[in-house]
Amino acid sequence: MAMPGQLMFARRLGPTARLLIWLLVGVSCVVADVRHHALEGLRSGFSLLLQPAREAMRAPTDIATEIGGFFVRHRLLQKERDALLTERAQLMISVNAAQELARENTELRTLLQLQSRPGQQVVHAALLYQGHDWFAQRITLDQGGRAGLRSGLPVVDASGLVGQVSRVYPGASEVTLVSSPQQLTPVMVERTGQRGLAAGSGRNQMELRYMPAQTDIRAGDRLLTSGIDRVYPAGIPVARVSRVSRSQSSPYLRVESLPLAGLDRSRAVLVLIAEPQVTTP
Amino acid sequence: MNVATETGSWRRILGTLALAVLLEQLPWSGWALVLRPDFVLVAVLFWTLHQPARISFGAAFALGLLADFQDGAVFGQHAIAYVIGVYLVLFLRLRLLQFDPLRQAAQLFPIFLAVQLAVLLVGWLAVNPPTGLAMLLPVLSSTVLWYLVALFVRLWHGKGMQDRA
Repeated sequence: MAMPGQLMFARRLGPTARLLIWLLVGVSCVVADVRHHALEGLRSGFSLLLQPAREAMRAPTDIATEIGGFFVRHRLLQKERDALLTERAQLMISVNAAQELARENTELRTLLQLQSRPGQQVVHAALLYQGHDWFAQRITLDQGGRAGLRSGLPVVDASGLVGQVSRVYPGASEVTLVSSPQQLTPVMVERTGQRGLAAGSGRNQMELRYMPAQTDIRAGDRLLTSGIDRVYPAGIPVARVSRVSRSQSSPYLRVESLPLAGLDRSRAVLVLIAEPQVTTP
Repeated sequence: MNVATETGSWRRILGTLALAVLLEQLPWSGWALVLRPDFVLVAVLFWTLHQPARISFGAAFALGLLADFQDGAVFGQHAIAYVIGVYLVLFLRLRLLQFDPLRQAAQLFPIFLAVQLAVLLVGWLAVNPPTGLAMLLPVLSSTVLWYLVALFVRLWHGKGMQDRA
């Protein structure tokens, strides 16, 4: 019905015209973000907005785990305690050995006048959110700039390297996982010391690139960070080689490996904050 | 009689959209994450179908930007795809409103597929080739979610009873 003051005929743009306008806006958003990184402010805004919601929505899972944990049988706990005590005894022995080695190492380093390794500080963080992993594998942690994180720091869990901090918000941060496509990690083969470059290939897999065909590498070898990039400290376990194959067309081996860290399981991780290295002339 | 003329108050629209956003904030992981339906997309298209004067391109674009933030994707990737979805729903609107929930969901399937393919294409052009086609799985779960929502709305308003009688 036409009301007084209202036009009889709609003077709105048709859906096709509106679609084209919004598509134009969308394409300019993509260009502004990819080419000029102009929309990081909007990203921080969304992060601040969604942070409380995410923390609240974590509660149902936490409560379920809590209730599940309450009903763990007494016998099971005792068994676990015994296993942990044995493990602790073993670890104590290796810690003693490591302390001895560390002391010896510092002495040797002073003798050789080498720069000692930078001190390490860790920040505990927990998984806050995991996005769909279609183009890059990322997780969001509940610690951010306020805890001293910055872009580029390595993230580890109990069993190995998880990834690298790629975006930092005040109270949260985004981590690109080692298995994410295009994510490169300098590694060395633990058994032979051969250095190489491991690249993520998506869906919890990695491949070791540019290994010449005569390289001594076999399934089961562990890959550790080599530390030559000054991003990751040396010696963090990264992956285990799962398959080595040769192709006729390429001069390099095709080495597939599986990340050691629980990329899709770990809920608690550590962020390593290395002090910036001072280079002395 | 259009279902939503009596139900579609702003409070209800914003409530369902907020609920959809909150559901996406749950810490999904593993297979649940791969199969997670796109709650926000289903909510936007539902209200576009029933209340096109209130929820259409603008809201879809804004919520698409939110979805981009969530996946850590390029800004504009989901926004473009959602806008295309809204256009398709507006185009087929009068037709879609005539069907019962099951057939309506079946008709929505190609629209969800088109939206997801748009996400795939924009991401491919802007960032990386995607890793596998697992990203098409939410199309199925979104269709199922649409069926459940449409069924719920129909039962709520008592229309399902008439069909059965």
